[in-house]
Amino acid sequence: MSTTLRNQRAQTTGSASNDPTGTKTATARRDGRKWMAALFLAPTIGGIALFTLVPIVASVLLAFFRWDIISAPKFVGLDNFASIGADPTVRVAFLNTIMFVIVAVLLQLLVAISLAVLVQTRMPIWLRTFFRSAFFFPLVLSASSVSIIMSYLFNQNFGLVNKILGLVAIPPVPWLTSPAASMAVIVLVYVWQNFGFTFLLVLGGLSSIPTELYEASSIDGAGGWKQLRSITLPLLSPTLLVASVMAVISALQIFDQPYVITRGGPGDATRTAVMVIFESAFKQLDFGRASAIGVVLTLLIMAATAVQFRLSRRFVYYS
Amino acid sequence: MGDVSRRAVLGVLGLGALGAVTASWPRLTGADIPGRGENALSVAILGTSQDAASRAKLVQAFQAAHPGIKVRIQAIQGADWGDFFAKILTMVAAGTSPDVVLVATEGAQLFAERLAEPLDTYVKRDRAAVQDYFDDVHPSLVEAFMYQGSLFQLPMDFNSANMYLNTGALAKAGLARPDDHWTRDDFYNMLGAMKRTNGNQFVPYYWTNRLFGGVVPWLYVNETSFLKETRSTGGSWFWDTFYAKDPTRAQRSGGFQWLEPNAEDPHVAESFEFLRTLVAEGLGTSPAQGGGNELVGQFAAGMIGTTPAGGYWVEGLHEAGMREDQFDVQFFPKWRSQRHQFGAAGYAIMKTSTRKDEAWEWIKFCATKEAMEIAMPTPTTTPTRRSMVNEALYSGKGPKHWQVFYDTLDKFPTSGPIPAPPQQAAVESALIKNVVGAVTGSAANVAPALATLQRDLDLALRRN
Repeated sequence: MSTTLRNQRAQTTGSASNDPTGTKTATARRDGRKWMAALFLAPTIGGIALFTLVPIVASVLLAFFRWDIISAPKFVGLDNFASIGADPTVRVAFLNTIMFVIVAVLLQLLVAISLAVLVQTRMPIWLRTFFRSAFFFPLVLSASSVSIIMSYLFNQNFGLVNKILGLVAIPPVPWLTSPAASMAVIVLVYVWQNFGFTFLLVLGGLSSIPTELYEASSIDGAGGWKQLRSITLPLLSPTLLVASVMAVISALQIFDQPYVITRGGPGDATRTAVMVIFESAFKQLDFGRASAIGVVLTLLIMAATAVQFRLSRRFVYYS
Repeated sequence: MGDVSRRAVLGVLGLGALGAVTASWPRLTGADIPGRGENALSVAILGTSQDAASRAKLVQAFQAAHPGIKVRIQAIQGADWGDFFAKILTMVAAGTSPDVVLVATEGAQLFAERLAEPLDTYVKRDRAAVQDYFDDVHPSLVEAFMYQGSLFQLPMDFNSANMYLNTGALAKAGLARPDDHWTRDDFYNMLGAMKRTNGNQFVPYYWTNRLFGGVVPWLYVNETSFLKETRSTGGSWFWDTFYAKDPTRAQRSGGFQWLEPNAEDPHVAESFEFLRTLVAEGLGTSPAQGGGNELVGQFAAGMIGTTPAGGYWVEGLHEAGMREDQFDVQFFPKWRSQRHQFGAAGYAIMKTSTRKDEAWEWIKFCATKEAMEIAMPTPTTTPTRRSMVNEALYSGKGPKHWQVFYDTLDKFPTSGPIPAPPQQAAVESALIKNVVGAVTGSAANVAPALATLQRDLDLALRRN
């Protein structure tokens, strides 16, 4: 087939250069190509428009309406935004989310970097392959199933975690019913499940650092820590920027773990922004309010990302 | 391979695409969803497709009686009733609303207020046919489905928050099953005795944080609730027709109303303080949220002394290997009163349904004793017909005092339903999120937690 196409092309090019009406043919061909491009792009663009753009615009518009899906939407102006501003639960949920993001993302990066550095240096290849898969596997599991198992493990009365702690004479910890412990459980479960992706990114970043740099620096007398600080981290910084931006965006949307493990409790201790969106929409049937919270969350995500890119000017080195 | 023109390739691709669209047309248009567009009465229930299949006999029996009406049971999965209602609502929004929905007390008023058709004209019309049902069903259960003077559902099954007792643990503590009028103090002492004699891992009182069987039974026995309970007027057309001779006729109304929060009532604080003491002294668990799925296994393994549950638990305990003499059941202990909490469920006709008469035939049929016996062959719940709660249902499975399940209504006729106004979802989350804060920690925590509960309930009730 490729031969045919090439022959055709050769023929057309040939004819175009000899033909006095060459410009016209070229224009027609360009038009034809444009149409063809449009035709091939149409399904994707149509799909994005229908399933992404329209819903985005609709959900932003919905934030100015009151809608319970049964009766017709009613325009309420900025009421939804005023009501979420005045709602203590929403405020707490956003604060929780921000705190969660800070702790979880830092922990995630820290764990991922340490493990990646450990795996990348001084380890037999087969073991390296094993750990690469092992650390990535939790990400493949469904977050809800993991969370259900975790809620059994951390059950105060019958959970395995407290049983093991009991062996070393630590009294049962109310993992899911005290505010601090339940937040800790959520962070741990989330980080355990999600650091795998950051880990892979960092691993990729590490392997692209030329080994000569390490060799040269060790001749100059630099030890492991010095190398980490002066070579590994700076050269890893572009990867870390990508990893942290992605980690922050996904952490801001945390839902499964707190929804399944604690249902946002005790009190509002583990309620997050996406949870209040879900509850407003599907439990309390206030879709307008849910959209308003969604808009605020989107702005928060955009702001967080902008801040990261701004900071990156100072901390990221492109070699 | 040399001579395939671009046109031919495009043509083949185009044909392929066309073929794919044609082949998947039913999927793209949703026409392959079972029952969509089919000429049948669609009945939505909470459960899995196995649950729908288990009702096949019921459907067969119905169709034998009404050959002209085709019925399709649509099982909708959900973690709890709230989930189920949300899915029904999305079906309504999508224009594919079912004709009949099985609704529990939790959603009774939400449906009555917005989605369901009153049954008033139907029960009046078919009075002779349904009188037999009402003669067999306690009026408290029916009153739970009255809303502003109209009847919206015929309850099929119910469960009260009774107290399950682990007889082995009781025996270890040197105790026997308490008598019917045991008090809160008896209960407290019993937990203490069990704790002393049953080892470290043992939990004397296990409770979960939810509307049914959580903090609410303790509020009811203390003659209070976290919402102000009032009754609406009306409904005498119904009571005078169907329950004219009932001894509790005078106390019946047009339905329950929960219009204002009541979390700062001193009795509410008392109940919370009692539960807080249980938690602080290690007699009761710090209540985890959720339905307590792991609870059956733990109770059957003898790790739990007592827990509030209804008749629905019997089959589960039996399946978990508990013999009928290893557990028993008793009324909730008395405090200021012994008023119990119950939850029930029944079919509601959707306002949007175009087959309301057929829907009513289904409901009427399901309320017959024949149908209820087909629908509830095992004690996975308690039938609302008094005559069905009998030795035969519980034989070989226990508990010994199964009479407690229905006696709860007969002996304590003021027992009330789960407090569930139309804003139930918001009310429930307000309650649940403030319970743990109130019952864990020091006594000084109770008042502030209840103040927050009051504020959250106020917000929840003011919505809509």
